[in-house]
Amino acid sequence: MAGASRFAAAVAIVVVIAGLTLLPQFSGEYGVQIGFRLLIYIVLGEAWNLLAGYCGLVSLGTSSFIGIGAYVLVGVLNAADVPISITLVGSGLVAAIVAFVVSPALFRLRGLYFTVGTLALGEALRLFMINASFSGGAGGWFLNAPSPSTNALFYYAIGLLAAATIVISACTQTRFSILLRSVRDDEDAATQMGVRAFHVKLAAFIIASFLMGAAGGLQAYKLGAIEPYGMFGMQWTIDVLSLVIIGGLGLRLGPVVGAIIVIALGEYLADYPELHIAITGVILIVIVRFAPKGILGLGLQLARWLTAPRPASGALRSGAPR
Amino acid sequence: MTGLHATTPSGPSRAPLLRTEGLTKRYGGIVAADAIDLTIGLGEICGVIGPNGAGKSTLIGLLGGALRASAGRIHFDGQDVTALADFERARLGIGRTYQIPRPFLDMSVEENLKVAQFSLSPFAAHTLIERECDEILEQTGLADVRRLPANALPLLRRKRLEVARALALKPKLLLLDEVGAGLIESELTELIALIKAVSGPNRSIVVIEHVIRVVKECCDHLVVLNFGKKFAEGSTTSVLSDESVAAVYLGTAHSPSPAAAVAAAPQSSGATPNPESAETVLALSEVFAGYGQAKVLNGVDMTVRKGEVVAILGANGAGKTTLANTISGAIKPTHGRISIAGEDIAGLSPHQIARRGIAHCMEGRRIFTPLSVEENLLIAARSVDRGEAARRLDEVYALFPILAERRASPGASMSGGQQQMLAIGRALMSKPMLVIFDEISLGLAPVMMDRLYEALLALKAGGLTMLLIEQDVERALALADRAHVLERGKFALSGSAGAIRSDARLRHLYLGEAE
Repeated sequence: MAGASRFAAAVAIVVVIAGLTLLPQFSGEYGVQIGFRLLIYIVLGEAWNLLAGYCGLVSLGTSSFIGIGAYVLVGVLNAADVPISITLVGSGLVAAIVAFVVSPALFRLRGLYFTVGTLALGEALRLFMINASFSGGAGGWFLNAPSPSTNALFYYAIGLLAAATIVISACTQTRFSILLRSVRDDEDAATQMGVRAFHVKLAAFIIASFLMGAAGGLQAYKLGAIEPYGMFGMQWTIDVLSLVIIGGLGLRLGPVVGAIIVIALGEYLADYPELHIAITGVILIVIVRFAPKGILGLGLQLARWLTAPRPASGALRSGAPR
Repeated sequence: MTGLHATTPSGPSRAPLLRTEGLTKRYGGIVAADAIDLTIGLGEICGVIGPNGAGKSTLIGLLGGALRASAGRIHFDGQDVTALADFERARLGIGRTYQIPRPFLDMSVEENLKVAQFSLSPFAAHTLIERECDEILEQTGLADVRRLPANALPLLRRKRLEVARALALKPKLLLLDEVGAGLIESELTELIALIKAVSGPNRSIVVIEHVIRVVKECCDHLVVLNFGKKFAEGSTTSVLSDESVAAVYLGTAHSPSPAAAVAAAPQSSGATPNPESAETVLALSEVFAGYGQAKVLNGVDMTVRKGEVVAILGANGAGKTTLANTISGAIKPTHGRISIAGEDIAGLSPHQIARRGIAHCMEGRRIFTPLSVEENLLIAARSVDRGEAARRLDEVYALFPILAERRASPGASMSGGQQQMLAIGRALMSKPMLVIFDEISLGLAPVMMDRLYEALLALKAGGLTMLLIEQDVERALALADRAHVLERGKFALSGSAGAIRSDARLRHLYLGEAE
């Protein structure tokens, strides 16, 4: 049963991704632009959801790895004629290596302290890049390579999403997911059951950082010019966090739902920037208060309630006679 | 040290699985475990008893690896494991349970077990994993809830899940930390059977327990801890009959008449000022309440008069705590009427009910751990002037002198028994008309229960009206004027304490032989 539904899900994902490749044929420049942003946000959201939703590592260091990926891509392409796909892997690898290097320090911190630690990492990197001379300081770098077409960027983004889908599924649909969630729910109890919590957290952190680095690289390729305020900016961190929370933290497809909502909202309210921020804020507050599993969680709950109008779970909670 | 120590254990004839030498844990100046030498043979079941704060849970932490020893060594299965981290020890075969269950709440019961299985053998065949998981769930009586999330389980089942999870590690050494707390007789019988079932020639078990029956029926060998030191050790029967052990730990609980101390104290039914004519403090009529779709209380009628002590007895899950929560307003009744001194309290929130003179000493103590003892007490007397608050403080301190001694210590630093005293003291600080005591003896050493019940007896003599929810039938009935036995949300039995005590049906209800 589980195997069949897993197969169906895999088929659905392949169909959706294949369908996406046809988008440029039907929509104009605008649609493809939006599509690119959507795909980048989904990849970032999935990476952050692996950390926070599955492993309990609520990180505010998203922008660090996006920034690293961006600078690696521009640096490499300016220095040598390397294929873009290999450069993107390089962006991811450098981000993953940085994650590996900082992990012993960060994992000494638990819960909220970890969160503050990652925030400090992002800010420290941003200030470093502003003041360092090799990275062009606050002015940043320009990409010397010819700028790609919108369609080409879109296809790269689809490739990145496909890779992210495979990697994240390998983490969340297998036995590894149980270890991840045990560390999330109670790290001490998990280690008492033999789980190597440090290794589990490190694996999640490295995978997520790789994906964030690669996404940052692709974003830089699109922009053609990068500077520390933008690439290491808090906005990335906040956007990714809010889209996952709105979509559904800890749910496999939560980031997809969240990214669609956040991007749609951004487009409809593009002419009213103040209103956009205010509305996103209100949505976040309402979701955190009333739907801890986001819009998708709410939908799933509704579906369950509709299909099974008389759930028996309540009776068990009462501690009825055994 | 006691003389028993000299006549040391017959000792395990089999090879020792675990041996500690001078195991010590210091927290700053406090020595929680002081040079403990312990030898546990393969296949042995060893009990560890001792007063609250004696260092029992510290010992479990040291053996399991959650705590680092300050000094001493631990040898396990022919290997020095002192320097090994907790997960490494778990992988070597040391499984532990937590006193307060810590299941992975958002995961199903089955997945909770698989954490251990997958961490040990991530690539084991699916069928093998499923078979082992089935066996453990069957053995621990959790098979019917395997797909439910752990947060849907009541306390009793969470305790079973703790044991099941530890078993999934296939441990050579199983550390059980107070798995019997809060269980009634019939449930204890099941627990004892479970412990015996999971023991075997290749598995040793350490049982930390306040429920003497569990220790008596399961353990070959007993260690008594007091103030972090090994106080006595020997065969179970010799330790339990030792007088010095009775003095520091067992109290009266183990004497021929369990409630002797309380019963012997000046108390007679005549002491209550004619309850029939006294004014009614609390009245419940036809009260129904529950959580969502689960109905817990199914029509409860009860009156409590001024100066009376009423005991509520019943099995786990019968609805005792729900009844307490309904009276104090934490749960709204779905039907029926509750009145305090004649006033209907429908629609009042808990703090308004508290102001009308109902104090609720909640199950699990609920101390504000970062606040000091005195701050914890004063919180309940915010509305009175300073002189009155000081007078009330003095009364509480007179009742529990240890609280006065430790008035500036944070609540977190108190032992379980002291925390319970603090919780009782806090309930008294508002000068309530009626106090609801919910399971005050849960998880306490017998000698500590004696002390608490002496305090309640003094309060009763002072005319305090009490609603007593208690697992320990003997103690409750010795103190109460009247008692109700709750079964599936209704009173199955009501009457004077004496009548209830001699009623054969009580025994039936409690031993699970009803119907």
